[in-house]
Amino acid sequence: MPYGEPDPQDPTVLIGVELPVNEDTDVEMAYVFAEEFARLGFSEAQVLDLFHQPYYAGAYRALGTLGEPRIREVVRETMGVWGQSRQVVEDAPQTSRDWDVGLDALQPRGAWGHER
Amino acid sequence: MSQVYNWQLGRDMSYPYEGKFPDRQFAFVFNINRCIACQSCTMACKSTWTFSKGQEHMWWANVETKPYGGYPQFWDAKILNLLEKANPDMQTWDPAAGANAKAPYGKFGGQTIFEAGARMLQPAGARVLGYLPTDEEWVSPNIYEDNPVGPKGARYKFHTTGEQLPVHKTWFFYLARICNHCTYPACLAACPRRAIYKRPEDGIVLLDQSECRGYRKCVEACPYKKSMYRGNTRVSEKCIACYPRVEGTDPETEGQPMETRCMAACIGQIRMQGLVKLNSDGAWAEDRHHPLYYMVHVAKVALPLYPQFGTSPNGFYIPPRWVPREYLRQMFGPGVDQAIERYENPDRELLAVLQLFRRSNRIIFRYQIEEGPLVYEGPYRGKTVRIYNDTVIAFGKNGKEIFRTKVEEPLHVRTNKHQNSI
Repeated sequence: MPYGEPDPQDPTVLIGVELPVNEDTDVEMAYVFAEEFARLGFSEAQVLDLFHQPYYAGAYRALGTLGEPRIREVVRETMGVWGQSRQVVEDAPQTSRDWDVGLDALQPRGAWGHER
Repeated sequence: MSQVYNWQLGRDMSYPYEGKFPDRQFAFVFNINRCIACQSCTMACKSTWTFSKGQEHMWWANVETKPYGGYPQFWDAKILNLLEKANPDMQTWDPAAGANAKAPYGKFGGQTIFEAGARMLQPAGARVLGYLPTDEEWVSPNIYEDNPVGPKGARYKFHTTGEQLPVHKTWFFYLARICNHCTYPACLAACPRRAIYKRPEDGIVLLDQSECRGYRKCVEACPYKKSMYRGNTRVSEKCIACYPRVEGTDPETEGQPMETRCMAACIGQIRMQGLVKLNSDGAWAEDRHHPLYYMVHVAKVALPLYPQFGTSPNGFYIPPRWVPREYLRQMFGPGVDQAIERYENPDRELLAVLQLFRRSNRIIFRYQIEEGPLVYEGPYRGKTVRIYNDTVIAFGKNGKEIFRTKVEEPLHVRTNKHQNSI
């Protein structure tokens, strides 16, 4: 970390400051994340996975506080309503007259472009 | 000081200049409920406008973790504190003073940064209550969350699983910010050189660097701290709202206005930008089927950031649902409870308008809804939810359709084989 430790004498640094918290804050946060991602087209498994990712700090915190069974319940309830998006797998066009590079050239290759 | 009408405060207020209003005003709505702080907007802006020497500390677009984060640090707490000192216990709203189209949030009874400036001990030439952040406060775009944490003593290594990221012990949310291109800009009011101006065509606030002498009065005055000083050129700089894109000069759009880089890069689909029509008093003219007008003035789900500062910011936010209301009321004014209630239980039109976010990088000037069938009806958290599969159609400046999308928009996913296809 490039920062020094927070100076406890600095009156503007929030250390041990009490913040108002509502009892259902975490539950509400869990519902919001589940709803928003369901509306974006995530599947139930993808939304659950989001709650397990530490980088999604909000969802991750909700999982830690509320526990796996409660989160599953929230996600299932949310998906029942908002998870209506249909997943359609659409392939890219195979050829184009304007392109001089075939799509096969975009297939994954080994390191430094060599064939695996 | 002139008297100008500030619709966000529901009253006249003092401003150093006479009110002059553009034909259209650059404005935007950010949906905080969706923001995951991926910082794509931040980097899109940085890599376009502020990548040069002397601009290292500049983040015209940033995302900060509230309540403890801020860029510069403590910016909002410090301004609120200054206002409170200037007008103790009087910074209050009267929502019952008649919420109407000209005063949608009621009336603000406290003092703005322009009015409070006159009461504080400042140099006689000072026109706006403000402060100059220290160099240290500009250092971190989002302190404690702006760099990966790694094992002690090992350079260039970081924990790939994120366990060492700060763990929030209480509620928090991500606040994405850019310059609000205010209707009554504090930076413009404070500049002794008159180097800052508001464009008559789109209300974008620009800083003329050939006129600027680096006095940093704009940095001191802007309550949102979106004017920044550059040491190696000795002039100040600020967000330019990607005006070449807004003007439609990007060849991709063939003359049609295009959204800014930070908007277009938003993978969380939290952002929508527009150009709204104004009345002669600076309030928004009725434009019923403009998506921003609908969200701000009809559905009232999007609220200005710290309207009590008095600059009439043109950035609006759909407030986060889970955050304690007292905090949100301070940040977004008295419209918070209604906004959250509407967003939690979106009606048919709102649900359709919310689908317009980030389906295109063109600026939407009008939308139209074609009604579809009822696809879901049932209980959800104690209420009955009805979802209609309506089609919402977006139109551009030239009146031509930009795109159409459905509430139940199918999600198209490329196969792994063609993930990198253009």
